[in-house]
Amino acid sequence: MSCNPSFIRLFQFVISILLVTSNVQAAKVALDPSAWGLEEGKSCIDCHSKSSSGLTHQWKNSAHAQANVNCLDCHQAYEDDEDAMEHEGHIIATIVSPKDCGRCHETEYNEQKGSTHVKAISILNNKMPKLSQHFGADAAHVSGCAKCHGSEVKVRGDGTLDPETWPNTGIGRLNPDGSYGSCSACHGRHQFSKAQARDPGACTHCHTGIESPDKAIYETSKHGMLYSAHRDEMNLNSDQWLVGKDYSAAPTCVTCHMGAAGKMKSTHDVGMRDVWNLNSPVSTQQYLVIFEDGDKRELAKTEDIPRRGETTEKLDGSKVKVKAVASPKMRRQAMLKTCLECHSKGFAKNAMQQFDNFVELYNDKYGKPAQAIMQSLYDNNLLTPLAFDEPVEHTYWKLWHNEGTRARHGAAMGSANMTWWEGMHELGNNFYGQFLPQVREIAGKKADAIIEQHLKVTDYHTWLDNKQESSPVLGFGKGKDHED
Amino acid sequence: MKINDLLPEFITRHVLIAIIIGGFGGIGFILFLIEFDHYTSTEEFCTTCHSMTLVAEPYRESSHYKPRSGVRASCGDCHVSEGVFSATWDHFMGMNDLLAQLFGPDYDDPVINALHLPDAAFKARKWFKDRDSDTCNRCHVKEAIYGERPDTLAIHLEDARDKSCIECHYNLVHRIVPHEKTFKRAQWNAMIEEEFSLPKGTAKELLKNK
Repeated sequence: MSCNPSFIRLFQFVISILLVTSNVQAAKVALDPSAWGLEEGKSCIDCHSKSSSGLTHQWKNSAHAQANVNCLDCHQAYEDDEDAMEHEGHIIATIVSPKDCGRCHETEYNEQKGSTHVKAISILNNKMPKLSQHFGADAAHVSGCAKCHGSEVKVRGDGTLDPETWPNTGIGRLNPDGSYGSCSACHGRHQFSKAQARDPGACTHCHTGIESPDKAIYETSKHGMLYSAHRDEMNLNSDQWLVGKDYSAAPTCVTCHMGAAGKMKSTHDVGMRDVWNLNSPVSTQQYLVIFEDGDKRELAKTEDIPRRGETTEKLDGSKVKVKAVASPKMRRQAMLKTCLECHSKGFAKNAMQQFDNFVELYNDKYGKPAQAIMQSLYDNNLLTPLAFDEPVEHTYWKLWHNEGTRARHGAAMGSANMTWWEGMHELGNNFYGQFLPQVREIAGKKADAIIEQHLKVTDYHTWLDNKQESSPVLGFGKGKDHED
Repeated sequence: MKINDLLPEFITRHVLIAIIIGGFGGIGFILFLIEFDHYTSTEEFCTTCHSMTLVAEPYRESSHYKPRSGVRASCGDCHVSEGVFSATWDHFMGMNDLLAQLFGPDYDDPVINALHLPDAAFKARKWFKDRDSDTCNRCHVKEAIYGERPDTLAIHLEDARDKSCIECHYNLVHRIVPHEKTFKRAQWNAMIEEEFSLPKGTAKELLKNK
């Protein structure tokens, strides 16, 4: 088989940027051991084993304890730190931020720094402005949204942490030291067990429910089925966790989205291997722009994609030089690397093809027409610009957000039920049974003009024209003649 | 026999009268001081200054005011030393506070009061530290802090053995103020401004003026 030379170069480039060399283990701490195990920190344990014994018990069973990393190594702070406080003669901070963890775990810190996870607050603010306020209020934001997306932690003038913003271990938390994220979002304190973080539960704490129905999807996929049956064969505590070598019983979330496979290194840049955005009214394939400063942003295929060396805007609005750009194709290559440890190339590529086809079907059949019809309603002043004050807006939201997301995620991770019955079947029920009738009611005489053109873009809705087609097997129209 | 015959020659009648008057006077004075210290240590007396009613608010919500045991600690129980001479000395030194109340910043204003609170807290903490938390020990005995959790006593006997109460319990009764080492004036001012809905920078101006 011959390969296009430019493709080879491209591929090598991907490998160099995204996947890197031969080390299959999580990066070991590079810091000299003399840099931790602070003498003053050893006394913390005596008292805390009495005052909060559960916490110290967890720590005693941790790799940190084995490596002599004590309380003060992580919790030490400087007097000038925003959240510094005096405690038993030491200056400490309650919050151990990714920057703090990064004192030793530099590689992981740098990987997560530009990942989609740390963008969780801006995703929340950009995508769903006011949703939490309109459907809830501050208290709902604090106990709901922010628990996964992260809070903007506020230290009050008296040195205490504002209860509106803390406790919080949301993945995109804005910390008092300016860093984003929270390692303990996935790595439960204070044991920081590898097995716990590799278990799907680390992810499905947040990735569950209508916004991100991945728990139910994974559990009803073949991958999840195997995991629940063979969890004890997963070697979850292994230092090195290379799929195909250290375990093979099943892949977890970590395996595909951040795990080491073959020559591909593990990464804390979760989301790097994702091609599509599946949580939007219409899915688009996404480029990943990597900036010189390590930050990253996604750009839809339909947008202007900057080239390497050009300067472009980051999510925060600042302009920075582009270090590399990973195309959707490259990102797919990275994901496929994992698949190939268990599946043949043909199998894996076909599975991806099935997924891509499904996403495009969703887009063309429901996503794009519904979006265009809603836009027409707004353009014709048939709806107020305010979201969620009219029933059809709730119907549309359910369509793309609840049902559409579930269907697309279902197809991505191989849950037939979530793809069809809980997904596309629900979409059909909604689109034909609720959404279109509601639009017709709102649009009145303009209904046909607003709806029909969008339904005719594809052949997916022509079945509506076959008025005489009876479906007795589904319980409809048996023995009856139908009128228009 | 005359009384004079029983006493040394230099104790004349006048001296005797002086001793008796002086003695009773002295006893009276001491009794007065005891009563004075006692009265001036009460919450009732302390809160005759409006500024003190402000710091008394959080105290009245604290476990020292509302203890399950029914043993209530009044202002002087914590802030005035044991013993008539020490107590009198503390009250004498307390004149500084009175002078500040009369001629210093307007502590009766809740904003001014809150802005100056950290300095007062640091001073009070130092006072406790210098006396090895003596006034705490009037009621609390380290060996008897059983608490509600099994290890509370052990913590006090083992980990806090060489510590003075105030070293750990420095935000116990009044409004929370950070430790002096980590206190940040700008953040404190901002908090007070927010609390009283004042424009930014007001606190700094207020502190400068007074």
